This record gives sequence, C-alpha cells and structure tokens, in this order.
Amino acid sequence: MSTVRGVDLPFGRFDERRLVLLLCFLPLGVFFAVVWLVPVLYALGMSLFDEPTGGAQFVGPGNYIDLLTAGEFGYFLWNSVLYAGSTTALSLLVGLSLALVVNQRIRGGNVLRTMMIFPYLLPTLVVIFMWRFLLDPNVGFVNQLLENWGLIAEPIAFFSTTGLAMAAVVVTSVWKFGSFAFFILLARLQAIDPDLYERARVEGASTWQAFRDITLPNLRGAILIILLVRGIWMFNKFDIIYLATGGGPLSATTTLPIWVYELAFDSIDFGGATALAGIMFFLLAATAIVYFHAFQPEREVAT
Amino acid sequence: MGSRGGIRRERAAGSIVSQRTQARLKRIAVYVTALLVSVFVTVPVYVMVAIAIQAPSDVFAGGQVHLLPDGVTLRNFVVLVTETSSVRYFTNSLIVTASSTLLSTALAVAAGYGLTRFDFRGKTLAARAVLFSYMFSPIVLAIPLYVIFFTLGFLNSYFALTLALTAISAPFCIWLMWQYFQTVPIALEESAWVRGASRWRTVRDVVLPVARPGYISAAIFAFAVAWNDFTMARVVMSRDEMYTITVGASLFLDRVSIGWGETMAVSLLIAIPPFCIALFLQQYLLQGFSVGGLE
Repeated sequence: MSTVRGVDLPFGRFDERRLVLLLCFLPLGVFFAVVWLVPVLYALGMSLFDEPTGGAQFVGPGNYIDLLTAGEFGYFLWNSVLYAGSTTALSLLVGLSLALVVNQRIRGGNVLRTMMIFPYLLPTLVVIFMWRFLLDPNVGFVNQLLENWGLIAEPIAFFSTTGLAMAAVVVTSVWKFGSFAFFILLARLQAIDPDLYERARVEGASTWQAFRDITLPNLRGAILIILLVRGIWMFNKFDIIYLATGGGPLSATTTLPIWVYELAFDSIDFGGATALAGIMFFLLAATAIVYFHAFQPEREVAT
Repeated sequence: MGSRGGIRRERAAGSIVSQRTQARLKRIAVYVTALLVSVFVTVPVYVMVAIAIQAPSDVFAGGQVHLLPDGVTLRNFVVLVTETSSVRYFTNSLIVTASSTLLSTALAVAAGYGLTRFDFRGKTLAARAVLFSYMFSPIVLAIPLYVIFFTLGFLNSYFALTLALTAISAPFCIWLMWQYFQTVPIALEESAWVRGASRWRTVRDVVLPVARPGYISAAIFAFAVAWNDFTMARVVMSRDEMYTITVGASLFLDRVSIGWGETMAVSLLIAIPPFCIALFLQQYLLQGFSVGGLE
C-alpha cells in the first residue's frame, strides 16, 4: 500500500532512486549472506563430513545417525522440552498475574513496571551470579532462611544436586524472562475497552466471570504467541544454563544447545556438533512453518 | 479480611459472594501479588548491591551473611581494578557493543526504509526470513561462524565479534524499523520532492527525524543484545586480553583470589548501563515490546 508511489512520481532522478535502492539493500544482502546464509549452508555441509576441520571424510548422514541413535539424544531432548516447557509456563503465569495487577492502576503500578524491565535487561551472567549466591550452600540467603525456619537440616547445593539443578535453573530463568510475558500481556490488557467491565459489573457478573468472559478471550492471541515464541527461545537457550550449571551435575541440565557446545569445544567433534545444529535447525524450521501458517506474522509488514 | 463478610449475603447474580466482598478480596489479591513479585524481583538485586559495597570480612562475619550494610567501602572495586583485567574486559565490551549497535541500527534503518518505500516481489518471504533468523539459536549460528572465522584467521578480533553480535541483533532491529517506517506516511516525503528536494535530502531532513523514536528503540535493543552477550564472545574470543566483561567475569568464581565481594562488584558495574536504560529510556523499550517482543 505504501510503496508503488515512488515509481510513477515524476521526480526525474531515476539514477538517484537507484542509488537509494542500492544503499538500502546492498548492505543488507551482503550482511545476511555473510553472517546467515553462508554459515548455515556451510554448517549443513560440514555436518556430512567426519572431522570436517582435519582430514575431512564424507560420511553422508552418518553423523545424524550417530546422534539420533546415541543413548543421550532422547534424554537431552527431554531436558530441552522440560526446560522450555516449564520456564514458558511459569513465565506466563508470573507475567499474567502481574499484568493483571498493574492493569488495576494500583498505587505504585508504574514503579512495578519499571522494576520488571530491570531483570530483563540485566545481563545473564549477572543474573546467574545473583542466583548462585542466593542458592549457595555455604553463604546462600535461601539456605539460611530455610534453616532458620527449621525446614531443612542440612544446606542444599541447589545447582549441583541432580534432582534440583533443573528446578534451580528454571527459577533463575523465570526471574530473568518473566517480564517478556508481562509486557506483552499488559499492552493487550490496556487495549481492552473498560466499558465492557463496567457493563458486566452493572449486570452483576462476578469478578471471575468478568475475567473468564472478557479478559481471557482478549488475551488468547497474545498467550498463544507467548507460548510459541517464548517456547522456541527457551528451547534454544544456551548461556543461562551453561553459566548456571554447565549442563551438570551428571548432565542433569544438559539440553540440546549445551550438547552442541560440548560436542564442538569439549569433544572437538565438529561433524557431530554441526549435525546436531542441523537437527535443531530442522526442528526450528518445522515450528516456524506452524507459526507462519497459524499466525501469519508477516502480515504486520508485508501487506 | 477479618470482617464477617462471609456471613453477609447480598446475593448478586452469578455469585454467592456480594460484589463488595468480591471487590475487597480482589484488592487483597492484587496487593499480595504485587508484594510477592516485588520481593521476588528486588531481593536478588538488593543482595548484589549489599555484597558489592561491603568488605567481605564484614559480610561473612560470624557465620551469617550480613545484608544490612553498616558502611560503604570501595574495597571490592579496588581489588577488581588492581588484581584483575576488568578494565581491559570492559574496554573490549564497550568497543564491540558500540560498533555492533551502530552497524545493526544502520542496517535496520536502511532496510526498513527500503522495504517500505520500494515495491518488489517476495516481501512475505523476506518477512519470514527476518522472523526465522530472529528465532534462531545463537549457539547454532556460533558453531559455523567459529569454523569460518578460524579458517580466515579472524578469531580474537573485534571485527569478528562485531559481526557475530550484529548477526543476532539485526533481525529484530530490522523487524522493528520495518514496522516503524510503515507508520511514517510517505506523503511527507512526497511533499518534499514536489518542492524540489532530492531523495537524499528528503531522507536526511524528513525521514530520519521522523523515524527517530524507531531507531532509538532499535539501538537500545542492539545495545542490550551485545552488552548481554556471553555465547558469541565465548566462542569467538579465546585469548584473555580479548575477553569481553561477561566472559572475563564468568571465570572469576573459579579463581581462589576472587570471592563473592568482587563478583558482586563486577556485577554491579555490568548492571549500570541496563539500569540507566530502564530508568531513562523505558518508553522506547516498551515500544519494542509492542511490536512483537524483544528476545
């Protein structure tokens, strides 16, 4: 709608128009080719070779077969799904409840909103330092509280206990990423016509009924987007898990992204690493196809 | 609470509890949630600050952690400067963050302008490509980039890290500017052309000033990605003197000479730029969320 006009305008400087066209798209094209297209194709090619950095030997789908039949694959995939699923669900819960609260225009609502930006912008490393300190078995604040209240006898090393490490990483991740859901839902809530609630109140609807019949239907789209997009991002998260536990203890928190890193830089197996990256690429592509068909997000720009 | 509200029954349609009691319960729920979330969000930040500004001997005196500082000391910061390469790490971070913010924003402004001002086939495909790269896992991209930079001898260079960081920040910046330029009516430019301004001058004097809020959001986002980054710097930089602050500081806890005091002090320093953004530039950031969220 906004575009064709430039062509039929008689501004008579066709060369200049071409120059602008070139300036807009040449850097973009070169950039995408250099940092996206070439690396992705290169990695997909590399994944077909044994030891692609040394005496490369073509093995076809061999690396993929090795990975998929390795005993760990199912376990690491399950860890990824567990991590992505629980962080996304909890972030949604925290974000939704706080968005509902701030939407009530309570005193201090603006302060709460500013406060929520902060964890989001705080570098992952800082977040990890904080939580490793809070959950530390020797000096940690959480252990101290639990001991003082008599809930535990011995301090717990949350990040290095197999049964608890995943939970600790999930809590840390929700702390950092919960505000994503909050901001999106708050924007959606503020767009709901307040008259709807007033009318419901006059007609004697309970608070719960108003929530169920007005608020939830209006949030449906936003909630689905959050589940999908946040889910993808959490599935792909590397740094927060790596910094918190390094994938341990005993690979209790090893997800697929952590495994990619381990294959490449600990086992120096670039064939395997790129093959796993390839598997993740295809998983993402499949999810993206669902996303594009269900939501058609490109309509926001390419109409 | 505490009133005998449960006994009174001014039965409202659809509920056995009166609307007044409901409103009261709702208020309580609202404030309890607000309080819980505030505690959850602020306690870790408070603990970081409290540990950073006290001497470790005071914090850990007597078995319990002291979280109410008696005084303020810069001791931890002095140790950082004198006994670690933190200054060097911060310099590296600033260099790559500044250059990738600039590159990413420039690309996004050019792309956003071009994509909304010129007509061509395959816009849907372009939009999907941008969104797809936006959802990509940085570590999956980091592996081939590492091999390519290794082959070309670019590892441990600002140039390589700038490119890698821009790769992960540019997709969203482009998306943001693409959306933003759609809200800038082309009529403004047309009237400038009619008055004889060249396309170049129109861009400089009409388009860029109007697009300012858009590219400030894009720049903030690109800045946050680069400043936050651990993955790319970890992969691209392997020499100590080239580490960014996140990679350098991540190794602090493994050293015997560095304790929680210095760790929290460096965290506090890293947190200053995000803190300033949250305080002074939050409206631009919220704009980023309104177009589909920041990673």
